[in-house]
Amino acid sequence: MAEAKQVIVRIKRQAGPKVAPYWEEFALPWRPAMNVIICLRDIAENPVTRDGKKTTPISYDSNCLEEVCGSCAMLINGRARMACSALVDKLEQPIRLEPFSKFPVVRDLAVDRQFMFESLKRVNGWIPIDGTYDLGEGPRMAPEIQEKAYPLSRCISCGSCLEVCPQVNDNNQFIGAAIVSQVRLFNMHPTGAMHAKERIQALMEPGGIQDCANAQNCVKACPKDIPLTESLAEMNRQAWKQALVGWLIG
Amino acid sequence: MSATATRPETDYLLRKLHSLTGIIPVGAFLVEHFWSNSYALVSQAQYDAKSQELQTIPFRIFVEWAFIFLPMLYHGGYGIYIWLRGKANVSAYPWVGNWLYTTQRYTGLIAFAYIGWHLYTERWLTHGRSTYADVENLLRNPYALAFMFVGVVASSFHLGVGIWNFLCKWGLAATVKAQRAAGALGAVVGFTFSLVGVLIVCSFWLNWHPFDFYVK
Repeated sequence: MAEAKQVIVRIKRQAGPKVAPYWEEFALPWRPAMNVIICLRDIAENPVTRDGKKTTPISYDSNCLEEVCGSCAMLINGRARMACSALVDKLEQPIRLEPFSKFPVVRDLAVDRQFMFESLKRVNGWIPIDGTYDLGEGPRMAPEIQEKAYPLSRCISCGSCLEVCPQVNDNNQFIGAAIVSQVRLFNMHPTGAMHAKERIQALMEPGGIQDCANAQNCVKACPKDIPLTESLAEMNRQAWKQALVGWLIG
Repeated sequence: MSATATRPETDYLLRKLHSLTGIIPVGAFLVEHFWSNSYALVSQAQYDAKSQELQTIPFRIFVEWAFIFLPMLYHGGYGIYIWLRGKANVSAYPWVGNWLYTTQRYTGLIAFAYIGWHLYTERWLTHGRSTYADVENLLRNPYALAFMFVGVVASSFHLGVGIWNFLCKWGLAATVKAQRAAGALGAVVGFTFSLVGVLIVCSFWLNWHPFDFYVK
């Protein structure tokens, strides 16, 4: 009888934020339509390494399992990907799993993406609708704008665009493509546009849009096919217009 | 949120200045420089006449510093600072744009070093009176000849990629379609300048003047 098919997974583990990482290898029984999350669940059911050593389940973030929450992003065979949509049959084995390198590790494959949230706060990444009184209904949105805005609204803050960006690293505070694209989204909204200049101003602070160096990795890595390079170009134009010629032409 | 006060940050302005100086005046000077050096392809006399014309422009020293030396120093110096703050990852993500990102840094450094040497040999040692014979003599040294080829191609490549970066980063090519066109334009510029540059160096090296029938 043929030997049962196995899936070999190598995982870079780390017990806590400040301790050294190490690798563990697992051999799992193959099943049809397996994805990386299923591998991690199988390990949790029976946390024994390939050489028979008992270990702990792998820590990782996940929620929706259908590529809309953004939490299970990790390095799979060295590439930034969502674990839920990474199908085992399409991956080279052994499958290497590592946490994102641009964010602090919490434990194993779970990272802390607080930097993105802080950046969204810096650029006012929301639409203020509350005042001290009822502001009433906002202006209507033209269908043309809706069509442009929808793809941008698909951002799931997974951090893949930051992970693959050569400009996002310890020597640089670059906020990354996702945040710039979110500014474009909120500035496009008729109510959000009331604060467009503040957001653009925030984009020009240190670590802002100027740190983009046009490597264009972000748009390739984005699991949601957001036109990030268009957003960067568009916001770049709005930024220099506001900063450099705003005093001339208003 | 408070009322808007548009106050561009220094970091932003310095970065934009780096990007702008790459095209104007540094890129524009490269165009002029290749153009006037192309006179070598006509004849030695035409080249020397063109050189003398440029060497005797009014306010020469101010023009040189304001439009050539200082912008180049800034573009090169700030470019190195930008390089140090990036972390290339082309081995993990070998995509075209990412390759251009990495090569743009190396060609920039090569071009910067080359231009420094080129200025030393052709501007400083000749007291700003370089002639066809000076260049010809220099290129008898095989290392100088090789460096000339490398420098010319590196500068051309850097300008081509720079044009594509500039058009994307100033939002002048904002859509995917426009960015593809900007990339094609950059490729044409990079390739054409490399070719013309190599032809000019060959002209001095081989005493080859393909357009000399104009003056015969």
